[in-house]
Amino acid sequence: MDESLVLLMILSLFLGCGCWLFFVWGVKKGEFDDLERPKHRMLDDDEDPKGKNT
Amino acid sequence: MSAARDICFHCGALIPTGLIIEEQRDGETLRFCCKGCLGAYLLITGAGLASFYSRRDWQEPGLIPDAYKAVFDDAALAAFVRQSGDTATVDILIDGIRCASCVWLNEKFISRLHGVHGVRVNYATNRAHVSFDPSVITPAQLFSQISELGYTPRPFSRSEAEQSASREQRDLLIRFGTAFFLTMQLMAYSFGLYAGYFQGIDDDIKYILQFFSMLVTAPVIFYSGWPFLSGAWRGLKNSAPTMDLLIVIGALSSFCYSIYATFTGGEVYYETAAMIVTLILAGRLMENHAKRRACSGTERLLSLTAGTAVRLTGNQQEQVAIVDIRIGDILLVGAGERFPVDGRIVAGSTDVDESPATGEPLPVLKQTEDSLIAGSINLTGTVHMVCDHPAADSFVARVARMVEEAQSRRAPIQGLADRIAALFVPIVLLLGTATFVWQYYLLSIRFDEALMTALAVILIACPCALGLATPTAIVAGTGAAAAAGVIFKGGDILEQLSRTSVALFDKTGTITCGVPKVESVIPQAGMDFQKLAGYAAAVESGSLHPVGKAICLYAEQNGADQQLGTELRTVAGGGVLGTVDGIPVVVGNARFLQEQGVPDLPVHDSAAPGSTIVYLAIGGRCAGTFFLTDRLRDESGTVLASFRKQGIRSMLLSGDRAETVQYIANILAVEQGIGDMTPDAKTCFIEELRAKGEQTLMVGDGINDAPALSAADVGCALVGGTDIAIETSDLILVKPDLNRLLTAYLVARRTMAVIRQNLGWAFIYNLIGIPLAMAGLLTPIYAAAAMALSSLCVVGNSLRLTVNRHG
Repeated sequence: MDESLVLLMILSLFLGCGCWLFFVWGVKKGEFDDLERPKHRMLDDDEDPKGKNT
Repeated sequence: MSAARDICFHCGALIPTGLIIEEQRDGETLRFCCKGCLGAYLLITGAGLASFYSRRDWQEPGLIPDAYKAVFDDAALAAFVRQSGDTATVDILIDGIRCASCVWLNEKFISRLHGVHGVRVNYATNRAHVSFDPSVITPAQLFSQISELGYTPRPFSRSEAEQSASREQRDLLIRFGTAFFLTMQLMAYSFGLYAGYFQGIDDDIKYILQFFSMLVTAPVIFYSGWPFLSGAWRGLKNSAPTMDLLIVIGALSSFCYSIYATFTGGEVYYETAAMIVTLILAGRLMENHAKRRACSGTERLLSLTAGTAVRLTGNQQEQVAIVDIRIGDILLVGAGERFPVDGRIVAGSTDVDESPATGEPLPVLKQTEDSLIAGSINLTGTVHMVCDHPAADSFVARVARMVEEAQSRRAPIQGLADRIAALFVPIVLLLGTATFVWQYYLLSIRFDEALMTALAVILIACPCALGLATPTAIVAGTGAAAAAGVIFKGGDILEQLSRTSVALFDKTGTITCGVPKVESVIPQAGMDFQKLAGYAAAVESGSLHPVGKAICLYAEQNGADQQLGTELRTVAGGGVLGTVDGIPVVVGNARFLQEQGVPDLPVHDSAAPGSTIVYLAIGGRCAGTFFLTDRLRDESGTVLASFRKQGIRSMLLSGDRAETVQYIANILAVEQGIGDMTPDAKTCFIEELRAKGEQTLMVGDGINDAPALSAADVGCALVGGTDIAIETSDLILVKPDLNRLLTAYLVARRTMAVIRQNLGWAFIYNLIGIPLAMAGLLTPIYAAAAMALSSLCVVGNSLRLTVNRHG
């Protein structure tokens, strides 16, 4: 019982750490720098997915 | 109209041979240069707006042709390009972005250019970050493409200060994210422990839960809480205990106590330690975010003085960086550009919009030998200027230095929370020591038990409630203010504002609208308003001058007859000449009309001081007079009256003529109206007031107000004012509406009241808790319950600020 409890707690911490690293990566990439523009981005028309065709 | 044959009816461009597109309309053949222009024409006429084509005026086009035709030079831009391998990146500040679709247009357009790898435009800062292949496209091509789109690109390199601010924000976000994540984990363990306390728990399991709690709490305190730890240490070193110290003592004491309890078998308080750090970090984050949102004008301020200029050497034109301009250099400044440095005109004359520098709304005529201020905008003609001061010494730079000085002179603000901390921390530590001494030496209790009791006293005495009392109220208060359109740049501003005793207002653009408006029209005998306004609007249509715009607006609002003015000619600093229905029409000031040979101008003595008088002559005879004034804002009177009711004295400070200021001061019944004030004089005046012990609030919008804004205890800027004013102020109204200032004041008052209630509650809690803890009587569960209850009360009380705002 105790062993499984410790195991599960460690597992949950590992899972959480994964999410945390993902978050830190996001901040470092600058995902949170501009909080205004992304909400307008959904209004943009989708372009040709290959893009850059002139 | 023979030239019209080859000119596109819509855009006015020359039609290349063989590309003519013709459209029959009302028996006339209209020619277009492309399908796009035809489409635009059909769209405009289809919407019933065909009169656009008769109203617009090619001699006074809305867009000044040379305005955006800057030449971009690879050599000058090279300094801004960062190269790594095959890819180069450059930051471009794009002037002219107004909305999300501008961002969209720029992003799509740039990303389609050949050789561009990627582009991202930041909406808040109007900055584009472009990565491209330098062997395919040069930065100069990139810049000229953007400028052809109609926007003005400027190279941009982030200042040291800004970079560190952005790093700090990211750092804070990571600290908070970490604390938040770990605290959630901790809460799960704590709930197990709570349940175990009531229902019984195996000692092994309790130990495991407590041990894991300790593991997750340690990083919250020592990593996430690092800003508090270092702040507390700074405070100790300067022997000025701050709120940080109180937070640190609270968190560390409960953490240490809990570690001891973990290994000796007792109840733990890890969640107290973690929660206080997390909640206060959240408050800091929100405060920082508000501050950054308020400061997003920095780049635009920098663009006032940064960039390049065209230097004339003999007949040669060359692009030079502004810092390289030397005294005596001759510069060419086209219409629509900003003057790069302070100097004088050596050839040509033009209207200059000096509002960015002085806040005065009306353009000023500048002729040879007239002085120019860097950053002001050349409106109508191309001129040659000679540089009198290097860029580092320009008016704007001098004002910026004055602001810096005023800011450094400002005494460090000691907020209510810090003052309490300064008093409270020594008392708590004293009580803790006294408890230990009393228990260990006098009652001869075991050393570790006596130490634990002493720690418990400190833990109880520095509860979350006390730490949370100020930050939660400030976050709730600033949040409520932001919803009402007021941005506080810091929590301390709320407190400063709530104690205001003297409010000082700039006149132009703050108390008044800053835009002239036709106040009244007096026609000569035999004329009527409609006709008068119609003729004036016909020649003023397309005018960039605020007076012209005001007259057109007046004509439109009063349904004047629409007529077509032709052969329009603007004379800088005088007025406009034109022909309507074959009759010559002149609109302008008295001197201009006299020069044009118009006799017998009526004299108007009764006009209010400060109003601009514009005459209209039809067929060489004076037909009537327009009076324009910079109108008071509708709400100015009521807001000033409310301030008076709150016991706050109001004064007007303005660079305008003394009599005009006095006149407005009388209308608004403010205590004093002082005119002819330089930025320096305003600053001195405020400092004198402060020396007398007054708590000052300065409201303004121009660069000339900036030093005063930072010298005052609270500086308040209106959005729409100059960027430097917004930059130096503590409080920003997001719409130029003074009612919001009143709202801000009331919110500040209410927030301070809530903070006092919170602190009062925390003290009551202490009053009961500390004696019990000192006697060693406070059992852990009561301590925990009391702590949770007091924290809930404090947070709940603070949240009252966000609801029922006007109650």
